[in-house]
Amino acid sequence: MSTVTVESSRFGTLEIEAGAIIEFPAGLIGLGGRRWAVVTKEPNSPFSWLHSLDDPSLALPVTNPWGFFSDYEIELSDADSERVQDDDVAVWVTVRAGVELADFSANLRAPIVISAGQGFQVINEAEHAPVRAALFPEGAKAEVAA
Amino acid sequence: MLIITRRPGEKIMLGDDIVVHVMEIVGNSVRIGIQAPRAVPVYREEIWNAVREENQAAAADAPAELPRPARSDA
Repeated sequence: MSTVTVESSRFGTLEIEAGAIIEFPAGLIGLGGRRWAVVTKEPNSPFSWLHSLDDPSLALPVTNPWGFFSDYEIELSDADSERVQDDDVAVWVTVRAGVELADFSANLRAPIVISAGQGFQVINEAEHAPVRAALFPEGAKAEVAA
Repeated sequence: MLIITRRPGEKIMLGDDIVVHVMEIVGNSVRIGIQAPRAVPVYREEIWNAVREENQAAAADAPAELPRPARSDA
């Protein structure tokens, strides 16, 4: 299978399989960018990266929301539901890193929904969906990946 | 900026295929209907702004090494 090479400013050379390229017709909200790929650097980490294929310096950490928030719910507007038509859907939320673990948060308001090779950052209309939901509430232990 | 006056029931066209419909005014709120092609996402400005800020911060703040929570190994 053909691959696309990205000279990532964070990770060096990345080989992305053509089939793993996700087309975002409307880009990410406020960031744009049409072509992205989910890059997993550490198989055991809950975090992956949504890496731009157009801008080698642009990458956002993402996570599976249900790994941290088991009761997370997404409610889409009719317009967004129409955009996401396939039943086989992957959902990621962006992660904002902090200096302290307690500062790490995920954006539950604007999940990224991927289906059939297309991605959309949608607005979650559910009542409890903070833009900054703490990922490591007090007491959670973590070690920095080696 | 274009500033125009509309009454409830009246509409505004943005190009040929986006319709902004001033539906009703109740107290200090205006109910607005928007018809746009599927490719044009419509956002409340404050939510768009908050998400944009969060996206930019997520892209800017992240170190290459992210923490690994202990419970994922359990």
